[in-house]
Amino acid sequence: MKVPVSVIRLPRGPDGTSRGFDPNSPRYQALSPISISTMGCGNEADLEQEQQARVALRERYLRSLFAMVGHTIHFTMYERVNVSAFFDASDIDILNFQVSDLQTPLGVHREALLRCSDIISYTFEL
Amino acid sequence: MSEWQRKSPLEWQTYVNKEVKVTAAEKHEYKGWVLTIDPVSANVVLVKLVEDGKVCVSVILGHAVQKVEIVNEGDDEMKERLAHLFMPEESKAYGHEELVKRKSSLKTWLETNHIPVTEQGESQRTLCVAGVLTIDPPYGPEDCSSSNEIILSRVQSLIQGHLAMQ
Repeated sequence: MKVPVSVIRLPRGPDGTSRGFDPNSPRYQALSPISISTMGCGNEADLEQEQQARVALRERYLRSLFAMVGHTIHFTMYERVNVSAFFDASDIDILNFQVSDLQTPLGVHREALLRCSDIISYTFEL
Repeated sequence: MSEWQRKSPLEWQTYVNKEVKVTAAEKHEYKGWVLTIDPVSANVVLVKLVEDGKVCVSVILGHAVQKVEIVNEGDDEMKERLAHLFMPEESKAYGHEELVKRKSSLKTWLETNHIPVTEQGESQRTLCVAGVLTIDPPYGPEDCSSSNEIILSRVQSLIQGHLAMQ
């Protein structure tokens, strides 16, 4: 009788099988608002319309993020804290922004991660 | 989660292309034209047109939005301007024969690199790679579409290398 070979199962990536935005991923559940907004159980035509809206809105937002890269962004944070930095990247759930040369009252941080929950608004000029 | 974050995408869409006044946390107020509202975070992207063609973009984080009031419904001209903001520049227009040549040249290059590629679509304009990625005219790296990031990135580099050799 052949001895079975032990199988090593590698851990799954954070999003399971896909890298797309997954509202059921443990990371999203842990870090962000309880539910993703949707009309819930509507009829198929309504859900399709809602999804089209979501796609159009998200595409524009992603393009706006892309346009920010390499520019100086001014962040207005809570407790009257204002900082500025070069924008590098955002994570897929818009929970954190990666920035460089973050100018703060305490000095300049070469690389930093800003939590979006700490930010009220951000602005830049094109 | 705030009331603003609980709205549905269709409700958010009703604000797009309109001029609004946003009241946010800590008594901040913002006014501008709504470019979009991110359905994931409910962030409101406002655009203000400054002198000499510059654009000032302010984004209010969804969790900080308290009130959004529409102050101007906007017109088609504004809608057009906003639609073109952040869009990639129009690519140089290629003639039909040029496009066919580019397509064949790319298809040959991909096949040389052992990548299965077929032509599909009406008039066979689109290249389909391994059934998971499509390339539309003019067959540049930005014209690839796929839900698989790894294949997308590989094929984009291949195309870039191919174009660099021309």
